[in-house]
Amino acid sequence: MVDALFLGFAVLTIVSAIAALEMRSLIYGSIALMGTLGGIAGFFILLDSPFVALFQIAVYVGSIAVLILFTVMLVKRELIFKMKEDRKRRYAGIGLMLIMMVALGSLLFSSGLPSITTDEPPVDYKEIGKDFLTYYWPALIVMGLVLAGSITGAIALARRVDGVEDEQRTD
Amino acid sequence: MSVIAPKFRLGYLIKGVIDNIFWIILLVTLIGIPIVQIVLIYIDFPIIDGEIWNPFRVLDALTHPERALPLVVSFMQSDLFKVVAFPGFGFAALIAAATIFIERKMLAKLQLRVGPFYCGKVEGILQLMADGLKLISKEIIIPAKADKPIFWAAPVLFAATAGAFVALIPVAPGWVVADIDLGLLAVFAVIGFFPIITILSAWSSNSKFPFIGGIRALHQMVSFEIPLILSVLGIVMLTGTLNLAEIVQSQANFPWIIFMPVGAVVFFITILAELERIPFDLPEAESEIVAGWLTEFSGMMYGLVQLGTYLKLYAFAGLFVVLFLGGWNGPDIVPPFPAEIVTDGITILPGALTVEIPGLPLLAHEMINGTIWFMLKTIGVILVILLPRGVFPRIRIDMLLHIGWYKLIALSFVNIFIALALVYGGVIGPGGIL
Repeated sequence: MVDALFLGFAVLTIVSAIAALEMRSLIYGSIALMGTLGGIAGFFILLDSPFVALFQIAVYVGSIAVLILFTVMLVKRELIFKMKEDRKRRYAGIGLMLIMMVALGSLLFSSGLPSITTDEPPVDYKEIGKDFLTYYWPALIVMGLVLAGSITGAIALARRVDGVEDEQRTD
Repeated sequence: MSVIAPKFRLGYLIKGVIDNIFWIILLVTLIGIPIVQIVLIYIDFPIIDGEIWNPFRVLDALTHPERALPLVVSFMQSDLFKVVAFPGFGFAALIAAATIFIERKMLAKLQLRVGPFYCGKVEGILQLMADGLKLISKEIIIPAKADKPIFWAAPVLFAATAGAFVALIPVAPGWVVADIDLGLLAVFAVIGFFPIITILSAWSSNSKFPFIGGIRALHQMVSFEIPLILSVLGIVMLTGTLNLAEIVQSQANFPWIIFMPVGAVVFFITILAELERIPFDLPEAESEIVAGWLTEFSGMMYGLVQLGTYLKLYAFAGLFVVLFLGGWNGPDIVPPFPAEIVTDGITILPGALTVEIPGLPLLAHEMINGTIWFMLKTIGVILVILLPRGVFPRIRIDMLLHIGWYKLIALSFVNIFIALALVYGGVIGPGGIL
């Protein structure tokens, strides 16, 4: 059962990833991207970490995919694709991907990770949360400040002043 | 003068109905029954009390109450019953239907109108059924330049997502379709699908009004999801769990709304926005953009979207009850099932005839009591959700986003700090006073 599920998720992830790259329609491409991200969430469920899986769905499928859809719908197509499609580029990309996969795979297989056996239970997400709130609290606060700063910076950069300054009635 | 069906004759209708009945009987006898018999050969039947049970035996047992009740009880514990009937789809769809009718009647009374009146003699009680028949019998029109696969899939996906949301709501102790440890996270994951489906259906219809409505819906839902999640964090901090049933159990003595009124108010306002109800019904603003993202839907596709919307309304009201109002907790109002019937049976003629019925009581006492309290609270919340529609006007999109991003997020942080103060002050939470 688990093997069949794994195969199913693998096929879903890879096929929809290829579809996300190759589809002519951008909307269908982003739907296929949702399929890829959902397949990865399925892997997390198979790995006994539903917490990560649900966050994967809520954040990646629910928010990131919406952002991509939004961008695709609102931005003119010529603005996204200035580059013409090129056969050489495609083959180069496939070659680069193969080199990356072979390198990563050889690293993984030579690292001894596949032969590790451990009896330790998986780390509970509640423990991670407690550690973050007690021992590692400075790191949490620094992370929060960095994220807030980057969001504020992004808003400040993306702000456009054009047209009517203030349409809102204040009375 | 145009007539809708110029060649209509009652005789044609009767002939058509009889034709259909004839063909159904013929096809069922020639194809259906042989298929059923072939399938029955290959099914392994369960063995109960040393006897092999087959469908005929089950039908036979159903005629005897003393043999039927255990079957019914065991069927009610099965997943199929939970998904289809009680805490799942059937129950939620009934409440959704009642909500539609009550909404129309209540709005009419609020605005000094009559509302549905003629259909069904008594206060238009059959209006819903008539509307459903009308929707089913209408033609489904798809715009010529629409993106057909997405356009077809969107209403089904919408109703299915709403159904998935309903499945997570616990109604009574042990009565929930999907009792998972991370229920609240699953709720957020499911809610995240609604804006995608909305914007995809709006885009796929290839029409201006739906697209404007879809963009508005996307803005609104995405920006109100953040205060929605933040306003619930306080409860997760106080209870230390994400399981919805455990959150309900933690409110046995007092509901969380006593300690977190700010969070409850923020959550309620975000519910209104997520459900696209007045005063936040910009995606469906009928006076500006026809029907918003629903403009191009016709017939039963529109019906499915409506069903999904009202299922979502029930699920959000149920979530509010579960998180803030104590779910199924409440004083006993149902008398317990008399124990002597279970042990001794029912005495019909004293000394002569006693009927012992195994399998009683059919439903546990706390389940009935809990369901009644959950229903009462949920219906109350639904009424409060419906009420602004008769009172408030629609607000502008910039005001909406302003409320969402400035005020509600700030208020939900206030709520989180209240929860933190309660936890670190040692009042509630793990190891607290209460």
